[in-house]
Amino acid sequence: MASSSDLTSPGSPARQEATPRPPPGRTPAAGSVRPRRGPRAGEERWALLFLAPTLIGLAVLSAGPILATLGISLTSWDMLTAPKFVALENYTNLLSDDRFLKALRNTFFYTAVSVPLGLGLALALAMIVNQRIRGIAWIRTMYFLPLVTSSTAIAIVWLWMYSPTGLFNTALSIVGISPLRWVADPTLAMPSIIAMSTWQGLPANVIIFLAGLQGIPTEYYDAVSVDGAGRWARFRFVTLPLLTPSIFFTGILALIGAFQVFDQVYVMANPGKPGDPTITLVYFIYESGFRNFHMGVASAAAWILFLIVAVFTLIYFRTQNRWVHYQ
Amino acid sequence: MSAPSVPAPSPRDSWSAHSSRRRLARIGRRVTLYAGLVMGGLAMMIPFLWMVSTSLKTRREVFSSAPFSFPTGLHWENYSNMWFALPGVTFGTFFQNSLFIACMATVGQLITCSMAAYAFAVLDFRGKRILFALILATLIIPFQVTLVPNFVLYRYLPWPFSDSGNWIGTNLPLWVWAFFGGAFGTFLLRQFFLTIPTDLADAARVDGANPWHIFLNIYVPLARPALATLAIFQFMWSWNDLLDPLIYLRDLPSYTTTVGLAFFQGQYIGNWPVMMAGALVSLLPMIILFLVAQRYFVRGITLSGLKG
Repeated sequence: MASSSDLTSPGSPARQEATPRPPPGRTPAAGSVRPRRGPRAGEERWALLFLAPTLIGLAVLSAGPILATLGISLTSWDMLTAPKFVALENYTNLLSDDRFLKALRNTFFYTAVSVPLGLGLALALAMIVNQRIRGIAWIRTMYFLPLVTSSTAIAIVWLWMYSPTGLFNTALSIVGISPLRWVADPTLAMPSIIAMSTWQGLPANVIIFLAGLQGIPTEYYDAVSVDGAGRWARFRFVTLPLLTPSIFFTGILALIGAFQVFDQVYVMANPGKPGDPTITLVYFIYESGFRNFHMGVASAAAWILFLIVAVFTLIYFRTQNRWVHYQ
Repeated sequence: MSAPSVPAPSPRDSWSAHSSRRRLARIGRRVTLYAGLVMGGLAMMIPFLWMVSTSLKTRREVFSSAPFSFPTGLHWENYSNMWFALPGVTFGTFFQNSLFIACMATVGQLITCSMAAYAFAVLDFRGKRILFALILATLIIPFQVTLVPNFVLYRYLPWPFSDSGNWIGTNLPLWVWAFFGGAFGTFLLRQFFLTIPTDLADAARVDGANPWHIFLNIYVPLARPALATLAIFQFMWSWNDLLDPLIYLRDLPSYTTTVGLAFFQGQYIGNWPVMMAGALVSLLPMIILFLVAQRYFVRGITLSGLKG
């Protein structure tokens, strides 16, 4: 046992020769232990067996369909008659379609507001519940509860909270403000939906931040405290930089999730009406594909969504070097 | 044991008085901390409390009395009204449908994701890195981009027991996919498998065990916590999903809880007590699961989160 602990450090070559096997601490993958003669005999066939369902799924249910969507997006197809090739017509039509442009604007607005708001609140909340006291697990349960709820049920509850005689208007009437129409008001509809989604999305982000906070070694805080750093300085120069990996990760999840918002909009705003203020990209895809059976239009909109998410993810990853510090 | 060396009574008294005052201050801080944390928690729970209290009121109470007041009586009839509100089906049917779909999807993911994860973590084969990167890439792809081709695929798959003669209108599209792998589960389980020391598998291999035996008898039993985490997440996602059931399910008796609830909401606009009862009942299984298995939820989020 003593010799194995020696070996975890880059040890002397003489000692390594004496050991029967290469040190376990230095072998990242089982493959590198063996001499270079490719995978162990027969192992590839086993791998194929273990991966067979995944490979079929990848080809038929995800990678294949992404390409198929691209193909369908170049056609006009109602699923009853044969598809007709129309080249880029669906795309050019979409870019002059007011309803689609509104969906695009709403989705961007939703993302631009809900992502920073959600991350900021989650960070604050994580620092609040990051206490080492008895019963904290029970207290945290109260904060984490929205984690498991369906957006459908939650949207119905919030619809009632936003109703003319609901919770929010009653609270406003107590401080003497006349009732608002919330989701029924074109300008307030999107912010109302964002408020609900932010509440529902908080727990997952709080959990990631909490794990990040608990991973910060206390020595760092001790070191800056010796220098006489106050609360703000400790947050600014220790907590925040060391939490950037968590912030980066929650950011990417929030970004991808925000572009796909659907359930809340479907239940709360019922955007079937032509002049609807809350239509989002995924709702547009759902409506054109599965209500109006314009498969080509739905596919083109889906590819635009895919490109938007891909571009934003790429840009986001590019910024990583500038602000994310790994310990 | 830092008692003063001089056993005179007076300094000891003042010492203990001082310490008790300090203890009082500490208890005071503790109480404020607890009170603050609980108040914050209650604020987070306002929508739940509001849902519960509304579900026990009468319609008249909801619209007339102050909304913060307690209900005059416990009007449980809202729950039975909700349960039997739709013609021909009860909410129990929706529950059964959701339960079946969520269980099948969970079983499928557990089997196929753990197999793929084992291949990526333990076995050696050509193209391993590229394939794994490809699977990770599907994690960030919005699944809506596969919606139309999958719908087309299911429309061409025959099924003799449905009205359409194909998979549309059945619950098959909602769970069969789960038997063909998944990015999240594969990633989660691979991370876990990598932490299992290879000595065990090496020893078994020397004894002549093949990879399937090693997988089944060593890796699967050791990965039980990670499997539980995946099971819980997949169950939750299936249970809460709205878009897919909305697309594929056609008639009321086949609806899941979410679609049933959305449909119900369209039918009973304004009847808030009954609607809140419905929302609460649909949330209850997940809330109970969360209270029982909170640490698996937390682990799943941090495990997949911090090693990303």
